[in-house]
Formats: sequence, structure tokens, C-alpha cells
Amino acid sequence: MSGRDRIFARVRSALAGRDRTELPESFGEWRLKSPPVSPVEGFQALFESAGGEVVRVSDRAGAATWIARFSTDFPSVIFGEHVPAELKPDLPSVTPEVAALGLSMARGAVAETGSLLMDARDGRRAQLLAPTHVVVLDAAAVYASLREALISLKDDLPSAIGFHSGPSKSADIGQIMVRGVHGPGRVIALVIDESVIVQDHKEGIS
Amino acid sequence: MTMRVALFATCLADQFFAEACADAVRLLRHLGVDVDFPERQTCCGQPAFNAGYKAEAARMAAHTLSVFEDAEYVVLPSGSCAGMIRSYYSEISDEGPALDLGKRTFELSQFLVHVLNVETLGRGLSGKTVAYHHGCHALRELGVDSEPIALLSGAGAQVVPWEADKECCGFGGLFSAKLPEVSAAMADRKLDTLPNVDFVTSGDGGCLLQLSGRSQRRRVGASGVTTPFRHIASALWEGVG
Amino acid sequence: MSRVNPGAYRAASARTIQNEPGVRDSVGSATRTFDANRVRAFGQIDSERWRDWARDVKTHALTNLDRYLEEAEMRLLANGAHVHWAESADDALRVLADVVARHDIRSAVKGKSMLTEELGVNDHLEQLGVRVRETDLGEYIIQLLGEPPSHIVGPAIHKSLDDCRRLFHAHLGTAPDATPETLAAAARDALRQDFLAADLGISGGNFLAADTGTVALIENEGNIRLSTSLPRVHVAFVGIEKIVPRLEDLSGLLQLTARAATGQPIGNFVSLIQGPKTNEEVDGPEEVHVVLVDNGRTELLADDVAWEALRCVRCGACLNICPVYRQTGGHAYGWTYSGPIGAIIAPGMLGLAKALPLPHASSLCGACVDVCPVRIPIPDLLLHWREQAVEEGLTTTAETIGLKAFTALAERPDAFSAAGALLRWTPWSAAGRSLPILGGWLQERSAPHPSQKSFRRLWEEGIE
Ligand code: SF4
Repeated sequence: MSGRDRIFARVRSALAGRDRTELPESFGEWRLKSPPVSPVEGFQALFESAGGEVVRVSDRAGAATWIARFSTDFPSVIFGEHVPAELKPDLPSVTPEVAALGLSMARGAVAETGSLLMDARDGRRAQLLAPTHVVVLDAAAVYASLREALISLKDDLPSAIGFHSGPSKSADIGQIMVRGVHGPGRVIALVIDESVIVQDHKEGIS
Repeated sequence: MTMRVALFATCLADQFFAEACADAVRLLRHLGVDVDFPERQTCCGQPAFNAGYKAEAARMAAHTLSVFEDAEYVVLPSGSCAGMIRSYYSEISDEGPALDLGKRTFELSQFLVHVLNVETLGRGLSGKTVAYHHGCHALRELGVDSEPIALLSGAGAQVVPWEADKECCGFGGLFSAKLPEVSAAMADRKLDTLPNVDFVTSGDGGCLLQLSGRSQRRRVGASGVTTPFRHIASALWEGVG
Repeated sequence: MSRVNPGAYRAASARTIQNEPGVRDSVGSATRTFDANRVRAFGQIDSERWRDWARDVKTHALTNLDRYLEEAEMRLLANGAHVHWAESADDALRVLADVVARHDIRSAVKGKSMLTEELGVNDHLEQLGVRVRETDLGEYIIQLLGEPPSHIVGPAIHKSLDDCRRLFHAHLGTAPDATPETLAAAARDALRQDFLAADLGISGGNFLAADTGTVALIENEGNIRLSTSLPRVHVAFVGIEKIVPRLEDLSGLLQLTARAATGQPIGNFVSLIQGPKTNEEVDGPEEVHVVLVDNGRTELLADDVAWEALRCVRCGACLNICPVYRQTGGHAYGWTYSGPIGAIIAPGMLGLAKALPLPHASSLCGACVDVCPVRIPIPDLLLHWREQAVEEGLTTTAETIGLKAFTALAERPDAFSAAGALLRWTPWSAAGRSLPILGGWLQERSAPHPSQKSFRRLWEEGIE
């Protein structure tokens, strides 16, 4: 008998005579006591309160303009695999280990938790190594609940999905919160939202 | 028809808080209740139960069930013993009678507020500042929370906020003797945060023994508080004025 | 397994309380902050309903564990992951040794994981000549100190800012009065080199979704994402009780765990790992090994009462609210899992005799009942183990004789009150100190004063 078989035998003997309970309805009908007005608003509120930044533009051209302007402060960049050429600023593209800025595409986001969904196919290093990370997000891909997001991810899972819900942080030193411990210390979600009316973004965002 | 209450003094209060039990009798009589003290009563079994001696606890529960079989209400000057009867008797003795006794069993302040519907007792505590320690079982098993505080303030006392008022004092029956160092450190947390008041009160004698015993010991080492610790039965009787 | 000695709990807790008052201060303030955050986060949701749901999902998964383990295994294999079964810590470490040998591993980075602590992974790797680096900041701190974690979420909560300053000054050359930001930056720089150099990434697993074969990991720093993304090989150690039926069940569990642990809506980073890098991906580990670990869990599952403890999601909420845990932090408990959860799983996983007195390390105050996201009835389980100890004769003779005598008296009211009168003759002072039970009381407190007359006497005399 293998270890596997012995484990299964012990599990089955432990469960013999015990009620096998029903699987409850999947979670998600009763969420926050005060739900946000829209998924994007909800995402923005939580992402910001976790220390992330959100910029909303109305179309890809607006995104490209914003990125071009924002990236002037950075010497180098690493792009996610799926970043379209039109969004790529004119910066030296370097290896992720040394890049000052990471630019990735989000697969989606979750309003309920304030999370960006990062697909491994876009490149994990670009998502993790640079101190500043800009993530382009399509407003239509913001799910209201985590449950909906997970159900939709299920059909097409890469080797890994990361939920990024704000900058890297830790309170392990004397219970004092610090940012940018391992992953990016600054994360900006650049939301392309056709419903956005005001497009005039301030110079950079600090 | 006058209401009839059987007082379950509990073994600890019988010996260590006899005057408080007497004050509970005075208070109940003052409120027009006929008080009886069934003489065969002993211990509810909680110390044994909490130490894992289930068979022994069951014997004491059976005894207690027989003692209070006919009582209309059973009132205890102890939240933890009342909690023992209400929450655990059905596990260790005849379920029917145990649940039935549970329904008739009340901690003193709970009885005053929920059965007698007392709103104010008098103004006997006017000008007094008081800190109230929530016994864990009164709070979490019985849900006694605002009742004692309302009664104390109704009687004129100023109940002073106490950061650690809902934290365990560290008594826990045999726990206090098995792991005395941790138990004492828990009492220290309570005493270190205790506001300056005229007296500390609680509905559980065990907690009061723990806190006063620790406070007195610390006093010897000069870090103690000198605040008196009084059973809530006595405080409320004084509240009648 | 490293440092398993719950039997020394009393001595260890006394030592911490008496000799290291700073521990009590740091642990007390950290746990109160954690708990205040939990209270706020529970207030934003219908926490009662969420907790019912979480309890039911975990209960369902555990009562159908065989079926879901098979499903998870099948899915993981289909995803291209390697699946290993470890009955014991030794088995798990052997899997690791194989991987190390086969891939010629020289250095490893590790994300925070209590299971790897339980298994003794670090010591084993070092014996194999692999340099292993803890990358969670808290874990890094205690690795430098050579200590085990003292809390399941905040491993270094027993250390103050000043403790960390001294430590980093000695190891990383930061200024003696450096800010937390400077200290964290120094650690980041040092650890970044380790991440880039490592051949092996090691993690635990918070959940394992059966229908997709997904190992879910929760963290705040990003070190787990890095540990599971940069090295060529990733080994995840996952307890068999971590299984959940469906990927979407993680929606409630990830949120509730974070809210219970730190008050966040969700961990800052969550990794959902299905397997190794695919052809369409540019990076990620080439090999992923999932080691499914029993190591005492099936014994716990077999206990008709205590099996409920396997629902635990290791959020630490019961530690945070526990007035006993707060006095000492986790080291005193003498094994990986401390606080209330440690006290209820130790007897099942280590054996009751070895776990004592942990089930007694509680005043049964019940504070943990209100916080546990999966509604484990912790006090009932503590009582269960205490009863078990009595049944198996694992109590002291003095206690057993004392309680049996007390019970016999309690059934004879006359004798009971006569014995009560003796309290007035009890050697409360010096002599009592050597007696069992009474001695424990008197060691830390002044003698209690029996009333001059018992209430029974007062009643007989008539109450005015
Ligand atoms: S027992 Fe409950 S509260 Fe304690 S760590 Fe486990 S899940 Fe959290």
C-alpha cells in the first residue's frame, strides 16, 4: 500500500459513519452592507483605500497620452506581453530585474475586494519586480463580486493568476505599516472607461 | 400572587460572599419577592465540568436538578454558575428537566431586569464612581451586558469606562491554580487598566476573589490598587438607598 | 519536526511573563490592533451569515474529503503539476530532498507557511546544503534571530521596533535609529538578491480548490508571488484539510479570512496557482510540486468531536482575542500552532499526553467563539480534550482525589456544609503554599477571606 492509499484509507475510516453534509449555495448573495454605485466606483474606492492609485481615462488614446506623460519620470520600463504598441511609451525597455517601471494589462478587476486580476500570460516579472507598476484595466472587465470573477476565470486558467489589491506592504516591523516591501510600492490602475466624462488629468499623480 | 424565588447561593458565594447573598435576599424581598433557600443545595458542578470531570459534574447536576425541581425561579449571585446550568446541564443530565431548569434560572441582575422589569432601584449610589467587570460567562453565555450597568447607573452610580472591562480576569476555576502565572498576568492587565473609582463590582464571586487577591498581593509589592471589590448584590442593595 | 515541547508550557509561560515583559507589551498591542481591525471589517458585512456559510463549506469539504482529494489530484495532474502524498513530516521532507537532488538546488526562497514550520523544512534544507531564505519580512526577522514564529499571521509580533533596529543594524548595517521604511528597504534589497538567485521557491497553501486544482495563497508583501514565480521549481506544501470544492468558494473564504485576520477586504496579493508555466507564458516555474500532507490530520479527523478544528483557516483571530495568548505570545506553547487553535489541534495531531497541558491553557472565557470565521466551537473542544485526559488517567492524583471527594460531598448537603466550615481553618498562609491547587492560588495572590459566617448560617439565623 502506498502512502497515498494509506491516507485515503484513514480518511475513509474517519468519515465512516459521519454525516456527509450538503454543499451550500455558492457565496455571493449578501455582500457589503453598503454596496458601491457601480463596479468601477467600488473597485476604485477599495483600491485607493488600500494605498493604490486609480486614474480614469475614456479611451486608449487617453491612456496612451497619460502613460507617455507619466513615464517621463522613469529611466526604463518592462512591458507586459499583451501591452499594445499604441500604449508603449518611448522608453528604453529593459529586463524586469532592473526596470524602474512595469506596465501590464489586467485581465479584469473585482469591485468587492478592490483587486486587479493579473494573468501569468502577461508576464509575472513585469507585474512584480519594478518598484512602480502601472496596470491598464478595461472598465468593462470589472466584476462586481469575486464570485463572478472566479467563475469567469475558470474557463480559461493560466498557470497562475495574481490578485493585486494595492501596493506591497507589511507591518512586521514593530507593527508599523510600510510600503513596497517586495512587490511594487506604487501601483496605479489606469482604467479605460468610456463612461468617463472628465478627461483632464492633472500632471502626473503623486 | 407573590413571585417565589429559590436562591442558589452557589458554593463559592456561600462561603466567601455570604453578606452579598444576604444582600441579594434583602434586595429581592424589597422588590416584593418571596425568597426561599433550599437547604440541600451544594455546588452546580462547574469546577468539575471545566476540569474535564464530566461524570462528577453530572452527579452534581443531578443533585442540583433535584434540589430546584419545584422552584418557580432560581436566582444566582453568579453568572458563571447560572451559565453552567443554562448552557451545559442538558449535555450532562436528563435533557428535558435540564432545559426546563435552564429556563427558570437567572443571574441576579438578569432576573431583576428581565423578569421583575426593574428600571430603577433607588438613588443609593449617588455620587459613587464604579467600574463593572463583565464575568465572561454572564456576558457570553447569558448575554448579560447592559443590565448590571443600567441598574448601577439607575441607582445613581457613575459607571466609569474601563478599557479591559470585557476581558477575562484570569480566574477560570482550576485554571487559576494550574497555570497561576498566566492567570495572574491576566488579572494584572485588568488591574493595570482599572480607572480610579470608588469600587469595582461584578456579578461573579470567582472573578472578585481573583482580582482582589491579585490586587492585594501586588499592593505588598507596591504596584497594587487599593480600590475595594464588591459583589454586585451588595452594590445594588446599597443602590436601593 | 522542530522544537515540539508543549509539556513545558507552564514553565515557559512563567518565564516569558517574568523575564521578558516586552513580549507581553508587543504581543498585547499587536493583537489588540489586529482585533480592532477585525471588528471594523466584520461590521461592514453580514458577518454572521458569512461565517455560517464558511462553516458549511468547510464542513462539507471535510465530510467529503476523500472525494475532493481525488478530484484535486486529478486536476493538478492534468494541469501539469506533480502531486505527492506525505503521511508524515519525514515523507514530506523526502519529497523535498528528491527535488533538491534532481534539480541540483543550491538556494531556496520561502513564503510564509505554518505547515513548512510544522514539518521542519528549513532545518532539513540546511542539512541538505541548501541555503534557504525566509522572505516574509516577519519570518525574515525571526529567521535572523533563530526563533520560531510566535503568531500564525504576524510571526514577529513579539518584537518591537527597537528589537528590529538592533537586529538589522547587526545584520544589514542599517543605522541604529533607522526608520521602519529604511529597515524594510534594506531587507528588500537583501532579499531581492535571494529571489533572483534562488532555484527553488517554497510555499504553503491556504486553500486547494478541487475542481480546478488551484492552490490559493494569501499575503500582503508580494514575497509569495515572487517565491512562486521566479525560481525554476516551486514546491507547495498543502495540508489535506485545505481543500474546498469549487474555485468560486474562494470568494467567501478569501474575503472572510482576510477580514478575520487583519481587517482587510482581501489579502493584498492572492496567488491562484494551477501548475507550471505553459507554452504561452514567458516566465514562471517550469516545475510545480504539490505535496499533500497528512502528518496527524487524519487522526484529528477521526476524532468525533475535535475534527471540527480542521475547518481552521489559520486567520489568527482566536489568538488575537485570547487573553491567555496575549500574556505570552506563541513561543510558550512549545509547537508551531499556538493560542486557542494550537491548544485544540495539538492533542489530535501530537497525541494528548504530549499536548498537555495546552487544553488547560484557557480560562474558557469564550471570547474566541465570537471571532472564528469558520465557527469552530473552541471552548467545547478544549473541554473535550480535558474530558479525554480525565478518561485516560492523564491527570494528577491530587486533582482527581480532590474532585472526587468534592463531588461526594456535594451529594451530601450536611457533609458539604460541614466541610465548608473547615475553610475557616484552612492554612491559607504559609503552609497552604505547598498544597496542590491551593498552592497554585497562593503563589500569585493573597489568601481569600471566607466570610465570618457562611450564608447558610446567616439564613438559619434569619436575614433582616
Ligand atoms: S480557529 Fe478560527 S479564529 Fe482561530 S485561527 Fe482557525 S479559523 Fe482563525
